[in-house]
Amino acid sequence: MFQQIIALVIILFFISKLIQQKKRQAISQNELTLWLIFWLVAALAVILIKQLDTWLIFLGFSGSGINFLIYLSVLVLFYLLLRLRLRLAKLDANLTELVRQITLNNKK
Amino acid sequence: MKISCVIPAYNEARHIQMVVNSVRPYVNEIIVIDDASKDDTAILAAASGALVKRHLLNRGQGAALETGNQYALQNGADIIIHFDADNQFLATEIPDILQPLINGQADIVFGSRFLGKKSNLPFAKKYLIYPLAQIFTRYFLGIKLSDPQNGFRAMNRQTANLIKITNREMAHASEIQVIAFKNKLKIAEVPITVIYHHFGQKLSGGFKVIKDLLISKLIK
Repeated sequence: MFQQIIALVIILFFISKLIQQKKRQAISQNELTLWLIFWLVAALAVILIKQLDTWLIFLGFSGSGINFLIYLSVLVLFYLLLRLRLRLAKLDANLTELVRQITLNNKK
Repeated sequence: MKISCVIPAYNEARHIQMVVNSVRPYVNEIIVIDDASKDDTAILAAASGALVKRHLLNRGQGAALETGNQYALQNGADIIIHFDADNQFLATEIPDILQPLINGQADIVFGSRFLGKKSNLPFAKKYLIYPLAQIFTRYFLGIKLSDPQNGFRAMNRQTANLIKITNREMAHASEIQVIAFKNKLKIAEVPITVIYHHFGQKLSGGFKVIKDLLISKLIK
């Protein structure tokens, strides 16, 4: 119970940070929605941790709910990291093309 | 027939004049792409009579070669040669690499260190890095060439129009070979000599090439 409260406080902290970022217009509406859904789902999973155990056993998994959440988080993090890496690679390619066009158009 | 030689250069003030002077007798035009060098590479190359184009930011050898290709095509090149700025290739071997293109036997010609001529390859490169690179390019990329990473190559105008180098660093060598095989171009390999002044790309560089090739596939 105590651990659940700590987890919920941390989630609330991140949600408040998110709202502050939106107020400062540091993130877009889409980003706010995405991250809000993410943290609300996380909060729901923390609140329903016991229920999650029952569902997992019903689905045939032997691990506990908290283990499942950790595995899922690692997978999500890997996916987000890959997306970030690809976004950076795309930006890098665009930068190269920009440098090239400036070079070719420079008459000097 | 206009023959252009593209030389990508980064901090090569020590060698660039020697390289430009050695290449000049064999080509109509020398294009040096200075990849934002911190030394006098661009000034020295221009003083030697090369056409110099300068990147504002360092973007890597592959990026410089693509800039060079586009510039050479704009200038009406019929054949484009890629040549390194660090004085490791022999300009006297340019006629050998041009011959299959001039005869119409090939659309693209790759130089190879493993076809008879002796290069002073470092031990680790000869017996570890290149055999591994060869296995990767042969079985994962489907390239059946004796030299998987050689910067001395030449291509005709049609091929240069077809090949768009997207890998800005060292993976461009494999990328060019992949495009050539994929488009069923007429490919030739000729023996060349490489003189090593320094070790060059390490095993970690090989892994970076693989990583860059994978990422470039994913962002396409």
